[in-house]
Amino acid sequence: MLTLNVNGEDRSVEVPEDMPLLWVLRDVIGLTGTKFGCGIAQCGACTVHVDGQAVRSCVLPVGELGDAKITTVEAIGATPEGKKIQDAWLAVEVVQCGYCQTGQVMSAAALLRHNPQPTDEDIDAAMSGNICRCGTYVRIRQAIHQAATGKPVAEQTIAYNLQKGPAQ
Amino acid sequence: MRNLVRIAVAIVVLAAIGIAGLAGYRWLHNDRDVMAADAPASPELVRRGEYLAHAADCVACHQVPGGKPYAGGTPFKLPFGVIYSTNITPDKETGIGTWSDDDFVRALHHGVRKDGRHLYPAFPYTSYTRMSRDDAVAIKAYLFSLEPVHAPAKKNELSFPFNQRWAMAFWNMAFLDARRFRDDPDRKPEQNRGDYVANALGHCGECHTPRNLAFALDDGKEFAGADIQGWRAYNITSDKTFGVGAWTDQQLSDYFAKGHAEGRAAASGPMAEAVEYSTRHLNEGDRNALISYLRIVKAQPGPAGTEIAPDPESLKKSTAWAPPADAAKGDLGRKIFEGACASCHQYDGKGQQTPYAGLAGLRSVNDPDGVNLTMALLQGSDLKDINSGAWMPSFAAYSDVELAAVANYVIGHFSGKQGQVTPEKVAERRKQQ
Repeated sequence: MLTLNVNGEDRSVEVPEDMPLLWVLRDVIGLTGTKFGCGIAQCGACTVHVDGQAVRSCVLPVGELGDAKITTVEAIGATPEGKKIQDAWLAVEVVQCGYCQTGQVMSAAALLRHNPQPTDEDIDAAMSGNICRCGTYVRIRQAIHQAATGKPVAEQTIAYNLQKGPAQ
Repeated sequence: MRNLVRIAVAIVVLAAIGIAGLAGYRWLHNDRDVMAADAPASPELVRRGEYLAHAADCVACHQVPGGKPYAGGTPFKLPFGVIYSTNITPDKETGIGTWSDDDFVRALHHGVRKDGRHLYPAFPYTSYTRMSRDDAVAIKAYLFSLEPVHAPAKKNELSFPFNQRWAMAFWNMAFLDARRFRDDPDRKPEQNRGDYVANALGHCGECHTPRNLAFALDDGKEFAGADIQGWRAYNITSDKTFGVGAWTDQQLSDYFAKGHAEGRAAASGPMAEAVEYSTRHLNEGDRNALISYLRIVKAQPGPAGTEIAPDPESLKKSTAWAPPADAAKGDLGRKIFEGACASCHQYDGKGQQTPYAGLAGLRSVNDPDGVNLTMALLQGSDLKDINSGAWMPSFAAYSDVELAAVANYVIGHFSGKQGQVTPEKVAERRKQQ
């Protein structure tokens, strides 16, 4: 029996120590927001935070975690960086098919925590482990800039403007 | 004419006397304990045999990936052909089920099969010859306690004259010093035990000692490092710069027990297998003895330029998640590292998912030729049986140009040196797999 701290809650799980964290999150705890992509830490779809660091959960055995704090996409909106990233993501409508976006959001939130004002290059370096088949990279970069600066850097979606209320 | 005949006869006679003398010398120094009745296989003997079989790492060669332990079949690719390891399970037809203790001991000590034919020294009898009869018999008792596996030997693919087994008799005369290990009274007991563990059982030198032109170990350069199966078996002498002389006892102990020494090394390739099958099973006493022995192995220098860079600038300026902003901008290697490597290894050399992924201080990233680095990229690394997080996938799907670029970037970033890996060298290593 292992106890994992996931999104601020202690969860007791009956799993072997070498089970990848991703399986525990999705299949045992039922948090299916985190996605399975390649299974060998090469695509970034499974990214979660462990003590604030972006890690690939598909190759991380749960036995290694101890009492580390795990944050998944379900709770990232509760952190200041996560909230900014999610808002910008909606405003710029980064998502196309969406499968990789959990990982993108988690990597972007970790980037902002370590580097609140990233340059284009910082973004490319931090995000290049997250692959997007639809090629949304340009909008990802825009959204991260927008989240960092708070200023719109691209056309904003209607939905986002409606949510914000009447245009200023 | 008559003079010429006389001279020829004289030469032949002298040569015969010389060979007889050498053979006589060897015979006199051979052990006399080869002939004895079979020992009864008590559970204690089998248990001791299991421990010794691990220490002697028999399974590393006598098993193919996914195959049954000790059933053989591992290919040894040599410049003159391919030799396959044999089935050493107690199967009567295809294994060693009909062998007596004497037969088994003779194979270990003299490199001769039950039928009297010579074995090739890919089977390390030049090391096992030092093993005591008691230990050899225990190993046999363990092997005979296993389930027999029917696995016929694969036919060796050797070219002439190397396919002539009888010729090994001459090689043995020159290179097999068939003597049991004896304690050196000038050393501490643990150093002697360590020598026995390293050389009679573990046969470390078979990979770590360079070979001479006749493919025999060059004893004057014990553990100085050698190339094997495309990998570099590192210098493990007491040299503080090129060997393991600067490692702490704890680091060496961790390496043998877990395949990882913080800030020094993570076992990959053939050494990962040696840790998995052998060194991690050593008890604490033998592990410490091995360390004591490595401390007194004569220091040997290594190639200039492969020293560990003490504190590379590029690492000092990096954070876990970003390299120095101006470093290797636009470089293909950096791009690949960002995308494929950084999420586990990170830029500060400490490793993210697991300490096994820490690259700072490793010899593989301090070798400008990137020998083991290239092999790790091509084959990946697997210590899952020891630590489920200690595993790296193969990146063989990347092109030679990409792998050379990322290898050079890694060498540059983690050691501050100029990497010398070329796509051609990557292609060569790819072929050796």
